[in-house]
Amino acid sequence: MSVVIITLRIKYEEDLVLARQRARHISSLLGFENREQTAIATSVSELVRNAYNYAQGGAVEFSVSDKPLPQMLQIKVSDKGPGISRLDDILQGRYRSESGMGLGILGTRRLMDSFDIKSVPGKGTTVTIGKYLPQQKAPIAPEAMRRITDELIKKEPQSPLEEIQMQNQELLRTLEEIKRRQEELERLNLELEETNRGVVALYAELDEKAEHLQRINEAKARFLSNMSHEFKTPLNSIIALVRLLQEHIDGSLTDEQEKQVSFIRKSAEDLSDLVNDLLDIAKVESGKTTVKPVEFAVSDLFSTLRGMLRPLLTNPEVNLVFEEPVSVPLIFNDEAKISQVLRNFISNALKFTLKGEVRVRVEASENGRYVTFSVADTGIGIAQKDQEFIFEEFSQVESELQKKVKGTGLGLPLSKKLAELLGGSVYLKSSPGAGSTFYARFPIGLAFSDEDQSVQIIPDITAEESTVLIIEDNEAMHLIYEKYLKGTGFNVKTAKSIEEAKAVLEKTIPDVIILDILLPGENTWQFLTELKSGGRFKNIPVLVASVIDEEERGLALGADDYCVKPIERSWLLKKLQTLKSHRKLARILIIDDEAIARYILKEMLPQGKFEVIEAENGKTGLEKAQFYKPDMIFLDIIMPDFTGFEVLDKLKAEPGTKDIPVIINTSKDMDPDEIARLNRSAAAVLGKKDISKARMASQVRDILLNTIKDSKGLKND
Amino acid sequence: MERIPILKMGKFLLVTIQIDMHDRLALSLQDDLTEMIVKTQAKGVLIDISSLEIVDSFIGRMLNNIASMSKVLDALTVVVGMRPAVAITMVELGLDMKGVKTALDMDRGIELLESMMDQEDSESAQEPESDNDSTKE
Repeated sequence: MSVVIITLRIKYEEDLVLARQRARHISSLLGFENREQTAIATSVSELVRNAYNYAQGGAVEFSVSDKPLPQMLQIKVSDKGPGISRLDDILQGRYRSESGMGLGILGTRRLMDSFDIKSVPGKGTTVTIGKYLPQQKAPIAPEAMRRITDELIKKEPQSPLEEIQMQNQELLRTLEEIKRRQEELERLNLELEETNRGVVALYAELDEKAEHLQRINEAKARFLSNMSHEFKTPLNSIIALVRLLQEHIDGSLTDEQEKQVSFIRKSAEDLSDLVNDLLDIAKVESGKTTVKPVEFAVSDLFSTLRGMLRPLLTNPEVNLVFEEPVSVPLIFNDEAKISQVLRNFISNALKFTLKGEVRVRVEASENGRYVTFSVADTGIGIAQKDQEFIFEEFSQVESELQKKVKGTGLGLPLSKKLAELLGGSVYLKSSPGAGSTFYARFPIGLAFSDEDQSVQIIPDITAEESTVLIIEDNEAMHLIYEKYLKGTGFNVKTAKSIEEAKAVLEKTIPDVIILDILLPGENTWQFLTELKSGGRFKNIPVLVASVIDEEERGLALGADDYCVKPIERSWLLKKLQTLKSHRKLARILIIDDEAIARYILKEMLPQGKFEVIEAENGKTGLEKAQFYKPDMIFLDIIMPDFTGFEVLDKLKAEPGTKDIPVIINTSKDMDPDEIARLNRSAAAVLGKKDISKARMASQVRDILLNTIKDSKGLKND
Repeated sequence: MERIPILKMGKFLLVTIQIDMHDRLALSLQDDLTEMIVKTQAKGVLIDISSLEIVDSFIGRMLNNIASMSKVLDALTVVVGMRPAVAITMVELGLDMKGVKTALDMDRGIELLESMMDQEDSESAQEPESDNDSTKE
């Protein structure tokens, strides 16, 4: 430590003079002898000259060392010049200066008591010299030091030049300070810039990561959606085949086989549930799920749920209680999805409750905008730590009971996602051992109404009987026919005029038509020609029953048989059976790349009623459609060459095939766009998993019927 | 621009340095003086440094230079009035002032100059011979 007396800046040549004068003044104030003052001033002069000449300036600092006696006057001359390259040579006296006498540094070292030089090339040089204070008895008091400093600063300028020099010094000091601050600011600025760059880089990185995550998430959703589809196709086949087995279509099974088959079915259905849940989650996540709000009453929802969940109530020690809703208004929201959430909650509650009850309640919020369903059980409960992740996918709480009950680990996450989709939320309250209560909160009125783009649901027509359409103006004859055919499996529909007959044909396709020729004011021959000349009706056998005998004309126009009234019952029945069996089969083309799918579809179709043609890809399908002109086409969407969409477009573009009804039969879960697209040109969309024999039969009938309605030949004109 | 005054005093030039010179001033003094020697045909120069509190290597070199230049211009130089402390410092510093004659004060300085000039005159009188000798050889 040392006490600084004064610091001088060296900027101009005059400063050299000032520096050595100050050096002399300071040393005199410190009590150096005249001779020593001269030596000190000379040394300072030498060093400052070097600083000025070689580094265009620098600084001189005068200080007094703090060390124990004797104290030392220390003078530090520093510059920021290029440094001294041949310092060793200079110190060894081997260097000759061009400006001085090559004595500056060496001479100074001789003149002073201490000498230290530090020079870094490119950074500058610092020379510190020192001289012990003379005859010192006590250290200089701080006050004395301050007095010296004050005197130096206040020293009256003796000439205008000196004053200018002093002011100049002042200015230089200020400038130096400003420069120092500016440097500091620049350094800070640089630091900030670097930080900023870092922040920008960090942001970019975050962006990239977010994008990456987004992509991963999309890929996951896509994967789930695609994979689920891939899983579903074989699963549907398994289930459908198992159903066929269980329906004993190809012979009966032994009891043991029956049991095995039912296990196969159970497992396949479990797996199918899992895949469906996965697919649901993927759909919700990818935003493909559409909300279809309807207005419904909670009490209706509860009764539906009660019915649906009854099969799960296998444990007699557990009661499922639905509390009758009190003052809950009608809800306008997606009933199916709310029902799905509640089903998940309830089946979950039933799984984890061994004894007691599962209680389902509903409550409207005070402002009337929300409704909260709660499902409370008296089961094992969920520990606090597990409650956080229970709504995460595939998370299952470890427990003894958990191992016994089946579950996909997807029910609760799906419920959560569905609730969020509907503008609601799910949460739970639970403590281990005391049971859990799951809550689901939904808005009573969904703010938006989405256009219903659901798959067209085909009404289920139950009975599959043969129908006879009797076109006859005589009502007595109607009664006779009805009597004749009662209990024979033939269902009688009557029409008094051709107009009425057309009306019936709009609604149903009869298996046989009995036509009277002599109808008042009608051209029945024309009608027969229309029926037989083309369109969807040409395959319906027509039996002409008339009082006039014009058999040749009738048969020529396409009638399948002709008889002259009166008609005997036995003859009629025999005729009908024959005609029915002789009836030309409706031709159905199945375009599907999977042999199993084609097989299942074929098995599902009513036996003996159709001629089935198969095509294993889109190209063959199109060719066969052109060649055979089938009455109906079943089309798969996902095929190796063309997609079902392309095949459908091509079919609809060809005049020969554009009127053939196409039923889309697929396992693909389609988004609303695709469904809308299909609904425009396909007759119906059928999920492969929905296939059942009875339903298939009715649908096929129904679609054939719809097509007949559209067929030109029978338009009323 | 400040200048160190150079006075003509008989056949000598008198320079009295009364202020602490910065280096440029010292250099300009050097120039002015040589010019003055040529202009006045002065035979001797007296430099009074009695006011100088320090003589560092630069001023020392300047004094040396002045002496050498004057000699070339046929003038002799004597530095007078050097303070003892300065002298000591010069020695300690290692300043070699071989070419510079010194005198304690102005009077002795003038005496020294005159005696030197006399000596020079007698030397120069013999000089041509020796020059001839050398040419003969």
